[in-house]
Amino acid sequence: MAREVAESCIDSINLELVHTYATRLHPTKPELAARRIEAIGFQVGLQLAERYTKERPRFGDHLEAIKFICKDFWAEVFKKQIDNLKTNHRGVFVLQDNRFRWLTRFSLDAPTSGNGTSSSEANQANSARASQAAGQYLYFPCGLIRGALTNFGVPCAVSAEVSALPACSFIVRIKG
Amino acid sequence: MLQAPGGAVGSSTRMRCMYMFNRQGVCLHYHVWLRPVSVLSRQEDQKLMFGLLFSLKLFTAKMDPVGGSKGQLGAAQLQGQGCSFHSFQTNTYKLSFMETPTGLKIVLVTDSKMSDLREALKYIYSNIYVEYVVKNPLYTPDTPFKCELFNQNLDNYVKTLS
Repeated sequence: MAREVAESCIDSINLELVHTYATRLHPTKPELAARRIEAIGFQVGLQLAERYTKERPRFGDHLEAIKFICKDFWAEVFKKQIDNLKTNHRGVFVLQDNRFRWLTRFSLDAPTSGNGTSSSEANQANSARASQAAGQYLYFPCGLIRGALTNFGVPCAVSAEVSALPACSFIVRIKG
Repeated sequence: MLQAPGGAVGSSTRMRCMYMFNRQGVCLHYHVWLRPVSVLSRQEDQKLMFGLLFSLKLFTAKMDPVGGSKGQLGAAQLQGQGCSFHSFQTNTYKLSFMETPTGLKIVLVTDSKMSDLREALKYIYSNIYVEYVVKNPLYTPDTPFKCELFNQNLDNYVKTLS
Protein backbone atom coordinates (compact mmCIF):
# COMPACT_ATOMS: atom_id res chain seq x y z
CA MET A 1 0.00 0.00 0.00
CA ALA A 2 1.87 3.01 -1.23
CA ARG A 3 1.38 6.41 0.32
CA GLU A 4 2.55 9.76 -0.88
CA VAL A 5 5.42 11.25 1.05
CA ALA A 6 3.56 14.55 1.34
CA GLU A 7 0.67 12.90 3.14
CA SER A 8 2.88 11.32 5.75
CA CYS A 9 4.75 14.59 6.13
CA ILE A 10 1.64 16.60 6.83
CA ASP A 11 0.46 14.04 9.38
CA SER A 12 3.80 14.17 11.16
CA ILE A 13 4.02 17.96 11.06
CA ASN A 14 0.62 18.29 12.63
CA LEU A 15 1.54 15.92 15.45
CA GLU A 16 4.78 17.71 16.12
CA LEU A 17 3.14 21.16 15.93
CA VAL A 18 0.73 20.36 18.69
CA HIS A 19 3.33 18.55 20.75
CA THR A 20 5.85 21.40 20.52
CA TYR A 21 3.43 24.19 21.32
CA ALA A 22 1.61 22.35 24.06
CA THR A 23 4.50 20.75 25.90
CA ARG A 24 7.71 22.50 24.97
CA LEU A 25 6.95 26.14 24.30
CA HIS A 26 3.97 26.88 26.54
CA PRO A 27 3.56 24.01 28.97
CA THR A 28 1.80 26.16 31.57
CA LYS A 29 -0.47 28.12 29.25
CA PRO A 30 -2.57 25.83 27.08
CA GLU A 31 -4.79 28.69 25.87
CA LEU A 32 -1.79 30.55 24.50
CA ALA A 33 -0.61 27.43 22.68
CA ALA A 34 -4.11 27.00 21.29
CA ARG A 35 -4.26 30.55 20.01
CA ARG A 36 -0.83 30.30 18.41
CA ILE A 37 -1.71 27.09 16.58
CA GLU A 38 -5.04 28.58 15.50
CA ALA A 39 -3.22 31.65 14.17
CA ILE A 40 -0.98 29.47 12.03
CA GLY A 41 -4.07 27.73 10.70
CA PHE A 42 -5.62 31.12 10.00
CA GLN A 43 -2.75 32.16 7.73
CA VAL A 44 -2.81 28.85 5.92
CA GLY A 45 -6.57 29.08 5.47
CA LEU A 46 -6.29 32.57 3.99
CA GLN A 47 -3.78 31.44 1.40
CA LEU A 48 -5.46 28.15 0.55
CA ALA A 49 -8.76 29.96 0.01
CA GLU A 50 -7.08 32.24 -2.52
CA ARG A 51 -5.67 29.27 -4.34
CA TYR A 52 -8.79 27.16 -4.52
CA THR A 53 -11.13 29.91 -5.72
CA LYS A 54 -9.03 31.38 -8.50
CA GLU A 55 -11.57 30.56 -11.22
CA ARG A 56 -14.78 31.13 -9.32
CA PRO A 57 -16.93 34.25 -9.05
CA ARG A 58 -17.60 35.86 -5.66
CA PHE A 59 -19.95 34.11 -3.25
CA GLY A 60 -23.53 35.33 -3.07
CA ASP A 61 -24.06 34.89 0.63
CA HIS A 62 -22.70 33.26 3.77
CA LEU A 63 -24.41 29.96 3.11
CA GLU A 64 -22.72 29.56 -0.27
CA ALA A 65 -19.32 30.25 1.27
CA ILE A 66 -19.94 27.64 3.98
CA LYS A 67 -21.11 25.12 1.42
CA PHE A 68 -17.94 25.70 -0.56
CA ILE A 69 -15.91 24.98 2.58
CA CYS A 70 -17.86 21.78 3.19
CA LYS A 71 -17.52 20.44 -0.31
CA ASP A 72 -14.61 21.69 -2.37
CA PHE A 73 -12.27 23.10 0.27
CA TRP A 74 -12.50 20.10 2.59
CA ALA A 75 -12.14 17.74 -0.37
CA GLU A 76 -8.97 19.50 -1.47
CA VAL A 77 -7.37 19.55 1.95
CA PHE A 78 -8.61 16.31 3.55
CA LYS A 79 -9.69 14.32 0.48
CA LYS A 80 -13.28 13.96 1.63
CA GLN A 81 -16.29 16.19 2.12
CA ILE A 82 -17.93 17.25 5.34
CA ASP A 83 -20.56 14.64 6.16
CA ASN A 84 -23.20 16.77 7.78
CA LEU A 85 -24.01 20.49 7.83
CA LYS A 86 -26.56 21.92 10.25
CA THR A 87 -27.62 25.51 10.77
CA ASN A 88 -30.00 27.43 12.95
CA HIS A 89 -30.41 30.12 10.29
CA ARG A 90 -29.25 32.73 12.77
CA GLY A 91 -25.58 32.61 11.89
CA VAL A 92 -24.51 29.40 13.60
CA PHE A 93 -23.37 26.44 11.48
CA VAL A 94 -22.25 23.02 12.63
CA LEU A 95 -19.96 21.10 10.26
CA GLN A 96 -19.67 17.45 11.17
CA ASP A 97 -17.00 15.11 9.89
CA ASN A 98 -17.57 11.49 10.83
CA ARG A 99 -14.05 10.36 10.11
CA PHE A 100 -11.68 13.26 10.46
CA ARG A 101 -8.41 12.39 8.82
CA TRP A 102 -6.11 13.58 11.58
CA LEU A 103 -7.99 11.72 14.28
CA THR A 104 -8.18 8.30 12.65
CA ARG A 105 -4.96 7.13 14.26
CA PHE A 106 -5.71 8.37 17.71
CA SER A 107 -5.82 5.49 20.13
CA LEU A 108 -5.26 4.96 23.80
CA ASP A 109 -3.53 2.03 25.39
CA ALA A 110 -5.69 -1.02 25.61
CA PRO A 111 -6.92 -1.55 29.16
CA THR A 112 -5.17 -4.35 31.04
CA SER A 113 -7.30 -7.40 31.65
CA GLY A 114 -10.27 -6.58 33.84
CA ASN A 115 -13.52 -8.34 34.55
CA GLY A 116 -16.62 -7.68 32.47
CA THR A 117 -18.39 -5.18 34.71
CA SER A 118 -15.56 -2.74 35.13
CA SER A 119 -14.48 -2.79 31.50
CA SER A 120 -17.46 -0.75 30.28
CA GLU A 121 -16.76 1.99 32.82
CA ALA A 122 -13.09 1.86 31.93
CA ASN A 123 -14.08 2.24 28.27
CA GLN A 124 -16.15 5.30 29.01
CA ALA A 125 -13.39 6.88 31.06
CA ASN A 126 -10.96 6.06 28.28
CA SER A 127 -13.06 7.66 25.58
CA ALA A 128 -13.58 10.76 27.73
CA ARG A 129 -9.83 11.14 28.09
CA ALA A 130 -9.32 10.52 24.39
CA SER A 131 -11.83 13.25 23.50
CA GLN A 132 -10.06 15.72 25.74
CA ALA A 133 -6.63 14.98 24.31
CA ALA A 134 -7.97 15.04 20.77
CA GLY A 135 -9.24 18.59 21.19
CA GLN A 136 -5.70 19.93 20.90
CA TYR A 137 -5.35 18.53 17.41
CA LEU A 138 -8.37 20.45 16.20
CA TYR A 139 -7.04 23.98 16.76
CA PHE A 140 -5.31 24.02 13.39
CA PRO A 141 -8.40 23.00 11.36
CA CYS A 142 -10.42 25.62 13.25
CA GLY A 143 -7.95 28.27 12.14
CA LEU A 144 -8.10 26.86 8.63
CA ILE A 145 -11.85 27.33 8.44
CA ARG A 146 -11.70 30.77 10.01
CA GLY A 147 -8.97 31.93 7.59
CA ALA A 148 -10.82 30.67 4.55
CA LEU A 149 -14.11 32.28 5.59
CA THR A 150 -12.44 35.56 6.48
CA ASN A 151 -10.96 35.70 3.02
CA PHE A 152 -14.44 35.18 1.55
CA GLY A 153 -15.68 38.14 3.52
CA VAL A 154 -17.47 36.21 6.28
CA PRO A 155 -16.15 37.26 9.72
CA CYS A 156 -16.64 34.41 12.15
CA ALA A 157 -15.43 32.45 15.16
CA VAL A 158 -14.81 28.73 14.95
CA SER A 159 -14.61 26.14 17.70
CA ALA A 160 -14.46 22.37 17.65
CA GLU A 161 -15.60 19.50 19.74
CA VAL A 162 -15.03 15.77 19.72
CA SER A 163 -17.87 13.47 20.64
CA ALA A 164 -16.62 10.07 19.56
CA LEU A 165 -13.33 9.42 17.84
CA PRO A 166 -12.79 9.77 14.94
CA ALA A 167 -15.86 11.93 14.44
CA CYS A 168 -15.69 15.61 15.27
CA SER A 169 -17.68 18.75 14.62
CA PHE A 170 -16.74 22.36 13.97
CA ILE A 171 -19.06 25.15 15.11
CA VAL A 172 -18.96 28.36 13.08
CA ARG A 173 -20.51 31.50 14.55
CA ILE A 174 -20.85 34.36 12.15
CA LYS A 175 -20.15 37.80 13.59
CA GLY A 176 -22.05 40.92 12.66
CA MET B 1 0.83 -6.56 27.71
CA LEU B 2 -2.20 -8.22 26.31
CA GLN B 3 -3.63 -11.37 27.85
CA ALA B 4 -4.96 -13.63 25.13
CA PRO B 5 -8.74 -13.93 25.18
CA GLY B 6 -8.64 -17.57 24.10
CA GLY B 7 -12.26 -17.75 23.06
CA ALA B 8 -12.22 -14.62 20.92
CA VAL B 9 -9.53 -15.81 18.52
CA GLY B 10 -10.86 -18.42 16.13
CA SER B 11 -9.28 -21.84 15.87
CA SER B 12 -8.37 -21.15 12.26
CA THR B 13 -5.52 -18.87 13.26
CA ARG B 14 -2.15 -20.48 13.58
CA MET B 15 -0.35 -17.65 15.30
CA ARG B 16 1.17 -18.20 18.68
CA CYS B 17 2.77 -14.94 19.71
CA MET B 18 4.63 -11.88 18.52
CA TYR B 19 7.43 -9.76 19.98
CA MET B 20 8.68 -6.35 18.94
CA PHE B 21 12.05 -5.09 20.18
CA ASN B 22 13.76 -1.78 19.60
CA ARG B 23 17.45 -1.29 19.03
CA GLN B 24 18.33 -1.28 22.73
CA GLY B 25 16.56 -4.53 23.45
CA VAL B 26 13.51 -3.02 25.12
CA CYS B 27 10.47 -5.11 24.30
CA LEU B 28 8.02 -2.61 22.87
CA HIS B 29 5.16 -4.99 22.42
CA TYR B 30 4.32 -8.58 23.25
CA HIS B 31 1.19 -9.99 21.68
CA VAL B 32 0.01 -13.50 22.50
CA TRP B 33 -2.68 -15.54 20.79
CA LEU B 34 -2.07 -19.06 21.99
CA ARG B 35 0.61 -19.98 24.49
CA PRO B 36 -0.45 -22.69 26.89
CA VAL B 37 3.00 -23.43 28.29
CA SER B 38 5.35 -20.70 29.38
CA VAL B 39 8.37 -21.74 31.38
CA LEU B 40 10.03 -18.41 32.17
CA SER B 41 8.76 -15.14 33.57
CA ARG B 42 7.82 -12.45 31.07
CA GLN B 43 11.00 -10.40 31.49
CA GLU B 44 13.32 -13.40 31.28
CA ASP B 45 11.47 -14.66 28.27
CA GLN B 46 11.94 -11.37 26.47
CA LYS B 47 15.59 -11.06 27.41
CA LEU B 48 16.21 -14.59 26.20
CA MET B 49 14.48 -13.85 22.92
CA PHE B 50 16.50 -10.70 22.31
CA GLY B 51 19.75 -12.46 23.14
CA LEU B 52 18.87 -15.29 20.78
CA LEU B 53 18.15 -12.89 17.90
CA PHE B 54 21.36 -11.02 18.48
CA SER B 55 23.48 -14.17 18.54
CA LEU B 56 21.76 -15.73 15.55
CA LYS B 57 22.28 -12.65 13.42
CA LEU B 58 25.94 -12.57 14.31
CA PHE B 59 26.32 -16.28 13.66
CA THR B 60 24.68 -16.16 10.25
CA ALA B 61 26.81 -13.21 9.21
CA LYS B 62 30.01 -14.97 10.25
CA MET B 63 29.12 -18.26 8.53
CA ASP B 64 28.19 -16.61 5.25
CA PRO B 65 30.17 -18.36 2.52
CA VAL B 66 29.73 -15.64 -0.12
CA GLY B 67 29.43 -12.28 1.63
CA GLY B 68 32.47 -10.41 2.80
CA SER B 69 31.01 -8.26 5.55
CA LYS B 70 32.26 -8.71 9.06
CA GLY B 71 28.82 -8.14 10.55
CA GLN B 72 29.07 -5.07 12.76
CA LEU B 73 27.63 -5.69 16.14
CA GLY B 74 24.20 -4.20 16.64
CA ALA B 75 24.21 -1.91 13.61
CA ALA B 76 21.00 -2.07 11.62
CA GLN B 77 21.25 -2.74 7.92
CA LEU B 78 19.12 -1.87 4.93
CA GLN B 79 16.83 -4.60 3.68
CA GLY B 80 18.71 -6.92 1.41
CA GLN B 81 22.12 -5.86 2.54
CA GLY B 82 24.29 -7.92 4.78
CA CYS B 83 23.27 -11.39 5.84
CA SER B 84 20.47 -12.03 8.28
CA PHE B 85 18.44 -15.08 9.09
CA HIS B 86 14.71 -14.86 8.55
CA SER B 87 13.18 -17.93 10.11
CA PHE B 88 13.80 -21.19 11.91
CA GLN B 89 11.53 -24.13 12.31
CA THR B 90 11.13 -26.93 14.84
CA ASN B 91 8.67 -29.77 14.94
CA THR B 92 6.20 -27.75 16.99
CA TYR B 93 6.59 -24.13 15.88
CA LYS B 94 8.16 -21.76 13.37
CA LEU B 95 9.81 -18.50 14.31
CA SER B 96 10.01 -15.72 11.68
CA PHE B 97 12.09 -12.61 12.12
CA MET B 98 12.49 -9.28 10.43
CA GLU B 99 14.71 -6.32 11.24
CA THR B 100 13.93 -2.89 9.84
CA PRO B 101 16.58 -0.32 8.93
CA THR B 102 15.67 1.59 12.10
CA GLY B 103 16.68 -1.35 14.27
CA LEU B 104 13.18 -2.51 15.11
CA LYS B 105 13.00 -6.31 15.37
CA ILE B 106 9.74 -8.12 14.77
CA VAL B 107 9.44 -11.78 15.77
CA LEU B 108 6.47 -13.93 14.89
CA VAL B 109 6.01 -17.39 16.41
CA THR B 110 3.52 -19.52 14.50
CA ASP B 111 2.45 -23.03 13.75
CA SER B 112 5.12 -24.97 11.88
CA LYS B 113 2.94 -25.47 8.80
CA MET B 114 2.81 -21.75 8.08
CA SER B 115 4.15 -20.54 4.75
CA ASP B 116 6.93 -18.00 4.43
CA LEU B 117 6.06 -14.95 6.44
CA ARG B 118 8.47 -12.31 5.15
CA GLU B 119 5.78 -10.44 3.24
CA ALA B 120 3.45 -10.64 6.20
CA LEU B 121 6.11 -9.18 8.48
CA LYS B 122 6.69 -6.32 6.05
CA TYR B 123 2.98 -5.65 5.95
CA ILE B 124 2.73 -5.70 9.73
CA TYR B 125 5.55 -3.19 9.99
CA SER B 126 4.53 -0.72 7.30
CA ASN B 127 0.76 -0.87 7.40
CA ILE B 128 -0.02 -1.65 11.01
CA TYR B 129 2.89 -0.53 13.17
CA VAL B 130 3.74 2.67 11.27
CA GLU B 131 0.12 3.62 10.69
CA TYR B 132 -1.27 3.03 14.14
CA VAL B 133 1.65 3.39 16.52
CA VAL B 134 4.21 5.73 15.00
CA LYS B 135 1.50 8.10 13.80
CA ASN B 136 -0.44 7.95 17.01
CA PRO B 137 -0.26 11.39 18.64
CA LEU B 138 -0.29 9.85 22.10
CA TYR B 139 2.71 7.59 21.61
CA THR B 140 6.23 8.57 22.69
CA PRO B 141 8.83 6.69 20.63
CA ASP B 142 10.92 3.90 22.14
CA THR B 143 8.50 3.10 24.93
CA PRO B 144 6.40 -0.04 25.33
CA PHE B 145 2.94 0.42 23.89
CA LYS B 146 -0.38 -1.32 23.72
CA CYS B 147 -2.55 0.81 21.44
CA GLU B 148 -6.11 -0.33 20.87
CA LEU B 149 -6.10 0.34 17.14
CA PHE B 150 -2.83 -1.53 16.69
CA ASN B 151 -4.18 -4.58 18.53
CA GLN B 152 -7.42 -4.61 16.59
CA ASN B 153 -5.80 -4.27 13.22
CA LEU B 154 -3.17 -6.85 14.01
CA ASP B 155 -5.80 -9.37 15.08
CA ASN B 156 -7.80 -8.71 11.91
CA TYR B 157 -4.75 -9.07 9.72
CA VAL B 158 -3.45 -12.33 11.17
CA LYS B 159 -6.83 -13.95 10.60
CA THR B 160 -6.18 -13.58 6.88
CA LEU B 161 -2.81 -15.33 7.00
CA SER B 162 -2.70 -18.97 6.04
